[in-house]
Amino acid sequence: MLKQTIKLPSVGRKLSLGLTSILMLGAATLMPAQADIKIGFQVPLTGPAATDGKSAQIAGVMAVEDINAAGGVLGQKIELVTYDDQAKSDQAIFTANKLIGEDGVKLVVNGSYSASGRAAAPVFQKAGVVMISAYGVHPDITRAGDYMFRLVHLGPQQGAATALYIGKNLGLKKISTITMDNDYGQATMNGFIEASGKYGITVLNKYSYSLKDRQFGSIVASVKRDSPDAVYATGYFFTGGPLVSQLRAAGITVPIIGSQAFDSEKFIEIAGPAAEGTYIMDSFDRDRKDETLQHFFNEFKKRAGYAPEGVAAITYSAVKLMADGIKRANSTDPAKVRDALAATKNFPILEGNLNGFNSLHEMIMPISVNVIKDGKFKPAGVLTDLDAFAPPEK
Amino acid sequence: MYYIDLAVTGISFGCMYAMMSVGLTLVYGLLRILHVAHAAVFALGAYVTVLVANATGSILLGFLAAMIVTPLFGMAIYRVMYEPLLKYRPDVPLIASIGLLIFMQDAFRIVFGEQGITFHRNAFAFTTFNIFGVTVSAVQIATIITAVVVFTALHLFTTRTRIGIGWRATVSKPQIAASFGIDPIKVRYLNFAVGSVLAAIAGGLVAEMNNLVDPGIGFVVSYKALAIIVLGGLGSVRGTLIASLVLGLVEAYGTIFIGAWLDRDAIAFLALIVLLMIRPQGFTGARTA
Amino acid sequence: MSAYEISIISIIGINVILAVSLNMISGFCGQISLGHGAFFGAGAYAAALTMVGSGSVLLAILAAVVTGSLLGLAVGFASLRVRTDFLAVTTIGVNFLFVGFVRKQAWLGGEMGISGIPASGFGPVGNMTMILLFAAATIALSLYISRSWMGFAFRAVGEDEGAAATLGISAGAYKLAAFGIGTALAGLAGCLYTFFTQFITADAFDFIFSVMLMAMVVIGGIGSTWGVVVAAVGLTLLPEAIRFVNDYRLLVFGGLLVLVIRLAPGGLAGVIQKAFLAVRRS
Repeated sequence: MLKQTIKLPSVGRKLSLGLTSILMLGAATLMPAQADIKIGFQVPLTGPAATDGKSAQIAGVMAVEDINAAGGVLGQKIELVTYDDQAKSDQAIFTANKLIGEDGVKLVVNGSYSASGRAAAPVFQKAGVVMISAYGVHPDITRAGDYMFRLVHLGPQQGAATALYIGKNLGLKKISTITMDNDYGQATMNGFIEASGKYGITVLNKYSYSLKDRQFGSIVASVKRDSPDAVYATGYFFTGGPLVSQLRAAGITVPIIGSQAFDSEKFIEIAGPAAEGTYIMDSFDRDRKDETLQHFFNEFKKRAGYAPEGVAAITYSAVKLMADGIKRANSTDPAKVRDALAATKNFPILEGNLNGFNSLHEMIMPISVNVIKDGKFKPAGVLTDLDAFAPPEK
Repeated sequence: MYYIDLAVTGISFGCMYAMMSVGLTLVYGLLRILHVAHAAVFALGAYVTVLVANATGSILLGFLAAMIVTPLFGMAIYRVMYEPLLKYRPDVPLIASIGLLIFMQDAFRIVFGEQGITFHRNAFAFTTFNIFGVTVSAVQIATIITAVVVFTALHLFTTRTRIGIGWRATVSKPQIAASFGIDPIKVRYLNFAVGSVLAAIAGGLVAEMNNLVDPGIGFVVSYKALAIIVLGGLGSVRGTLIASLVLGLVEAYGTIFIGAWLDRDAIAFLALIVLLMIRPQGFTGARTA
Repeated sequence: MSAYEISIISIIGINVILAVSLNMISGFCGQISLGHGAFFGAGAYAAALTMVGSGSVLLAILAAVVTGSLLGLAVGFASLRVRTDFLAVTTIGVNFLFVGFVRKQAWLGGEMGISGIPASGFGPVGNMTMILLFAAATIALSLYISRSWMGFAFRAVGEDEGAAATLGISAGAYKLAAFGIGTALAGLAGCLYTFFTQFITADAFDFIFSVMLMAMVVIGGIGSTWGVVVAAVGLTLLPEAIRFVNDYRLLVFGGLLVLVIRLAPGGLAGVIQKAFLAVRRS
């Protein structure tokens, strides 16, 4: 009996089936969105930065609600067009193109890490779209052009301020440094190292670790051997928490100073009693008797289930600032909003008083330091010597 | 003192890696499958330990709960995913395993949050002892002691009890074992169960060490476990033990020196690739690659 | 055409080249490679450095292709030593080593990556067109190989090396060929990616990305060029079209991978084949 030769379905058939489904998907993707004043919003909802992304998103949404509840801007409501950039550069470019092309957005708040801001900035600049980087600290972001603004102190500037604080305010000279290996951690640490000489600081040793590390046994043992006056570490709360607890567990009792991204209640939770006495640079003062701040604090805690940290506060402020820029420009035209933002003077944000922006659209504002006492963030000084950590001009 | 500190770190890590990797080598020895999803079992163990410890206030209950949940999960993975794929070439279950690991990692993120979870009251992580100038933390001591106890128990189990001997027999000579009336299917379940329990213990200890369990916890250890079981000789528990300790020590000393030009994670893989190229049978050469 | 549409089509094109080239190695020749991202990345970095150094598009393409395939051949040699699942593990290792190494090298941009890469000069539409042309060429090449003697040899080696030897097919040579061609194309995709983004960082080429590529191959139907193309396009568009998929990307991809292997190991192509067979029989 001859076996029936099986005729395979033609290429054409397979192709048309495939193409039809693709076209349907394509149509679904390219459907346009609706009206109101649209502000683009890039946040890392997935990926390694998802923790901060969630905080940023909640804060951003809260800001929009507060603005709209107060009557909106120029009589219109604000709509947030949110995209997940995964804190990755290619996704940042991609979502930037989406915001520009698909959603016709002209004003954007980037609530993501430096990798995203750096990639998206040139795209937005070329399209004449205003972007405020809420907490991306890499210098490249504002260098992309005059439509870029940054609402957080630059990495190197924070590092320089840290050198000032450790050298002058704390009077400690021999420091062991621990850097997190990404653009944020390195940029900040570089600023510290560069400024260290000015305040008589000797860097005993430099150690580094990667974003994924939670175990620092070798670094801890090495720091112990260094016997420094203090330890300065850059990183996020989820690396700083384990790091600090392990440093203390090894019997290291000298002060530990952490970078801005340590600023989160989660840090205290993870490090437990070891968190006591840790200094955190550019950490926002939660005790300030300001109604907006307290309202924000309580409302955020209700929605998120945890207390807001620096990322949340600054993202909220960024959205509020953008709305204020629109108001002062009396228009949503990006060039006018850009000029209005550049002319900002003494704008109240959650962290305090924003003095303004310099020629490179870097923000000018004192740096406050917190220390952890009894499991809470307590103010430990404000650095008002703005020249010591002045951001670069154009 | 510095070098002894590093050594203590290395050994306690090695013990943790060993408990995590043994499950992997056991599965390979029996089924020739690279059970990458074992890392998800490990992560589940860590999560359960923290959750139950927080809910009941007892870290011991946390560990016990993890040791009950994970073998169920491990055996389910075998039954639902691997058993039907045994007839295919070995890379098919491997890819499925990787898919499952990625799925679980995201599931952990969605269910327990990106921030991860912490112990409400972690006595261990912050207690240290100073022994002759060397600082040793309670967790490190607990890890080493647990490893010793666990592996001794495992050894006794596989050499002194009927079930254990039957298990070893099935692994080395399946046909003969079957002819003696030992049910190979039951052995497979036992295999996954034991490996998963060990992973749960390892997970709980890591949760203690870091005081943080986040979704990526399994991923980081998973490929190290792969490197370890190859280095130790696939299917050999003793080899895995040795390789684990070696890797722990190499990492502890190595990060200081190599950390400048190579990612810490990449170090394990470098060792793995070099070894596979030179000696595909691993250190002890128990099985061929 | 909006900037968004241009960029999405560009990315689809790049993913198609990557998935089809991976299919040549893992589908046709049965050598499971879970580190395809490393060759993609090698090409991207080579192109970036060339563009920064010389600004020549042609040189960049050449550099990318050569770098991709050199790394690929090195891995190909590894495939001669170890069996399939260990080869898979080796390729994972290669991926991690590539990313881990690049991140530490200042001359490769380290953590900061390489930014401000000179434009190709074709503009976004020009780049997109170039990508589509190369994608079409890759598909054509894949189809051609599939139906040629080389494709037959690849399959023979992939299924049963011993039997292939009896036919006079040298497994080693064909494995190397598969790796060489597949990774050269991945390198090319890397170059096109560099033209597209003008800013690269190591984390775009990580293991997770390689798994996504393998997912495209498996879901499309391992060994089937058209199946893989459809899967590549579909899986790139899916996170854009459906918000849920975008937020739970790894969940969906991982879950699909497991489901497809478990329930329909032949992938989309296999399912379509079975459906048509069933129709034919009735």
